[in-house]
Amino acid sequence: MPVEPPAQLEEATVPDRGLRSHGMRDLGPEEMQRFRAVERTFLDVTASAGYREVRMPTIEPLHLYTSAGTLSPRALDRVYSFLDWDGWSGERVVLRPDATVAVARWYGDQTTPGAQRLSYVQPVYRFTPEGDREVWQCGVEFFGAAASTADGELLTLARNFLAGIGIAEVECELAHAGLARAAFAAAGLDVAEQLAAYDRMLEGDTSLIDELAARLPQGAAAMRLLAEVDGSTAGYIGNLRAAMPSVIPGAEGPLAELESAAKALDAAGVPYRVLSGTARNFEYYTGVTFRLHVGGQTLIAGGRYDQLSQTLGGSPAPACGWGADLLRLTGVAS
Amino acid sequence: MRVALPRGDLRSPVDAHLRGVDFVVEGYGSGARTYRFEVERREGVEVRVFSDEDIPIQVAIGNYDLGIASRQWVDDLLVKHRLDSVVPLRQIDVPSEPLVAAGQPGRTLAEIAASGIVRVATEVPNLASHFLLHARVPDYRLYEVWAQAEAWPPLDAELAVAPRSAVEKEGLEVYGTVHHGGVWLIANREALSTRDLSAALEPLLRIPLAREQGGLVQPEALTGVQRAQPRAVAERESFRLAVPDGHAQRHTVAALADAGIAFDGYEEGRAVRTPTSDMPGIEVKVMRPQDMPRAVALGYFDLALTGRDWLRAFTATFPAAPVVELCDLKRSNYRLGAVITEDLAVDSIEEAIAYWRRNDPEFPIRVASEYVALADEYARSRHLGKYRVIPISGASEGFVPEDAEILVEGTETGATLKANRLRMIDVIMESTNCAIGAAVRPSGRRGELRDNFVRRLAAGAGA
Repeated sequence: MPVEPPAQLEEATVPDRGLRSHGMRDLGPEEMQRFRAVERTFLDVTASAGYREVRMPTIEPLHLYTSAGTLSPRALDRVYSFLDWDGWSGERVVLRPDATVAVARWYGDQTTPGAQRLSYVQPVYRFTPEGDREVWQCGVEFFGAAASTADGELLTLARNFLAGIGIAEVECELAHAGLARAAFAAAGLDVAEQLAAYDRMLEGDTSLIDELAARLPQGAAAMRLLAEVDGSTAGYIGNLRAAMPSVIPGAEGPLAELESAAKALDAAGVPYRVLSGTARNFEYYTGVTFRLHVGGQTLIAGGRYDQLSQTLGGSPAPACGWGADLLRLTGVAS
Repeated sequence: MRVALPRGDLRSPVDAHLRGVDFVVEGYGSGARTYRFEVERREGVEVRVFSDEDIPIQVAIGNYDLGIASRQWVDDLLVKHRLDSVVPLRQIDVPSEPLVAAGQPGRTLAEIAASGIVRVATEVPNLASHFLLHARVPDYRLYEVWAQAEAWPPLDAELAVAPRSAVEKEGLEVYGTVHHGGVWLIANREALSTRDLSAALEPLLRIPLAREQGGLVQPEALTGVQRAQPRAVAERESFRLAVPDGHAQRHTVAALADAGIAFDGYEEGRAVRTPTSDMPGIEVKVMRPQDMPRAVALGYFDLALTGRDWLRAFTATFPAAPVVELCDLKRSNYRLGAVITEDLAVDSIEEAIAYWRRNDPEFPIRVASEYVALADEYARSRHLGKYRVIPISGASEGFVPEDAEILVEGTETGATLKANRLRMIDVIMESTNCAIGAAVRPSGRRGELRDNFVRRLAAGAGA
C-alpha cells in the first residue's frame, strides 16, 4: 500500500563519517526497542482479527509494477531499478517500491485463493533526495471480500491498531475514487483526461469544475458539491446522494460504499471528513480511500483496488488494504 | 576554471561559435589529438575535450565548471539520477537530431505494447525508460547497446530508440519522439554559486541561442493497453551469423578468407547491413562487436565473430549469460589492462596505490573505463579499497592523471598510450578476435552448421 512520502531523516546523533549510504538509517538498540513494540502491537492486533503474516522478496521484476499501474510514471522514475547478474535479457528488477503489488502477485499465484486476510511488515525502497530511501511499512490486505464486508473492517482495524500504540485521537479523511471517476465520465472525459482531471482536483484547481460544468451543465451542482465542499457527517453523503445519481450515472454504488465506511467510523467514534479524493494513485483505487491522521501527519493510508489482481494476470478479486510508515509511528506512539 | 568541450561532429560548429565570441581554443576545431588546451587571452581557463556523452557527468561531479554537450546526454543523466548539480544554462545554435522510437513499418506503438513484451534496443537507456514509463508501455525489456540500435528491429527487437536519420536509413517507421535534441551550455551548480566564472561564462553566454527548442519529450500515455501474456515463439530454422563492422571488420574478413568463407556485401572497406551467403538457410548480419555477446545470449544468433575482450566484459556484467567462446581466430591482438601516468615512478599497482594514499588513507581512487564491469572487477581483485569507477565512452587517454588515477584500456602497440605519456602497469587480459556461440549447442541443422563454421574458422586460424 502506498504511504505518504517518507519522513525526513532525523538529525544524526553521531558524526557522519561517510560510511553509510544516503537515505539509509541505522536503528540503534533504543530505536529497535520502540520499533519492535509497535511491530508487536501491529501483529497482535491484526492476528487477533484473523490476518496472517506474509513476507515477499526484496527484489521483484520491474514489469510487475509497470504492468500494475499502481505507481505513476513519476514514481516509477524513482524506484531502485537495475539489471540483475542475469539481466542480459534486458529484464530489469527493482528493490520493492510498494508492498501491496507483491502481495497481490502472491495472491494470484495461489490455486484456490478464496478470501485472504494478510498482513506484512517489510521495507520499501524509493529514491528521494533528502528523506529516508528505505521505509519500513506495516500493512494489511484483504483479498476476496466486497466493500460492504471489508471496508468497515479495515477502518476499524486501523483505528484499533493506532489505539493499541496509544494514539486514540485520530481523524479520518474519506473519499471514493468511483465518485470522481463517474463524474468525469459523465462529463465525457476519456481515461487519460480523467487522470489529468483528478490530479487537478487534488491540487484544488477551481477552473476544473467550471470546465466540467460547461460540459455537463445539469451536473454542475453535483460536481461543485463533490469537489468544492468537504463533508463531516453522514449528512453530507445524503446531500451527494440527492445531487449525483440523477445526473451522474454510476454514482449510486460508490455512494452506498462511502456511506457504509462512514458508518464504521461513526461506530468507532472516529471523526471524519469526506473529500473528493485522498490518494494520488487514481488508476489504482476503485473504491473507498482513506487517511488516518493526527495533527496533519498521515499515519495510515489505504483504500480499495478491485482491479489489481486481474491486472497482474490473476483471477478477478475484490481487494482493499492499508499501510503505514512504521518508523513514523514509533515517533508518535506513546 | 575548467571547461569541457565535445569532440566528434559537434567539434566544428562549436569551434565556430567559440571563435565568434572571442573564446579561441587553438587546435580544438582542427581536431588535434591532444585533449587539453588553453584559451587565448583568457588566463586561468583550461579546456578539456571529451566524448559528448561524458561531459554532463564531468560537470555534475564538479570536475569541470562549464561544458557544452548534447541535451540528450544531460537528460539521460538527469532522468535517472535526479542530480541538481548540473544547471542547463542555454541552448546554443548548433543543429542536432531528435531521438525517436521506431520499429517495423505499418505497426503502431499501441499495437506493439499490447502484443506482449516489447524489446527495445537503445544507447540511451534512461531516456528510453522515461519514454516507455510515461507512454505506459506495460512490459518491456531494454537492450542497452553500444551503437546502432536501429539495426535491431524488427527481428531482434520491436523498438529502437535512436536518431531519426539512422532509423529512417534502416527503413523503420517512427512511432514517437523521445527527445527533441539540442546542444546546451551547462554548468556545475556549486561552481556557479561559489566561484567567479565570468572569464569563461561571459563569452560563452554570448553564443547565439538556438532557433528551435530542444529537450525531453513527455509522451502521451497509451490508454487501455494491458500487459499481454508472453507467447511461445517458434524455434528459428535459419542459421544466423553476426559479423562486426568498424576496426574489427578488416581482421574478420581476413579470418573468414583464411577459412574459405566469403559473403557478398562484407569485404574489407565495405559492409551492408545484411550481406548474403551462397550457402542456403544462412542469414548474415553486420553489427557492433560489443553487442554480439548479448545477441548470442538472447538466442538471436548461432555464431558471432567478436573480440574476447567484449565477451569478457559482457560475462563480467552477467556471469550467468549462456554464451561461450567457441574458437580463437588469433587476429586483432591486444592487451587490456590498468594504465597509469608515465610520470609515476612505481613498479607495481600496489606501489601506485600506496603513493596515491600517502597523505590520505581514505583517498578514493578513480578508475575510468569503457569496460565498466571489468574495471570494477579489477578494482575489487586488486583491493583498491575506496574507489570509484567512472564510466566513459571515449577520448579515454585524456582522463589520466587529472580526472582519474587509473584507466582500464586496451592497446595494440602501446603507441597511443606512449603519445599521451601513459603506460600499462597491470595486464588484465590478452585479447584476440574469436567466434562465440550459445553455451548449449543448437540441435539439428543449426548445430551442424555451427560445428562446420567453427571447424573451418579454427583450421583457417591454424589451430
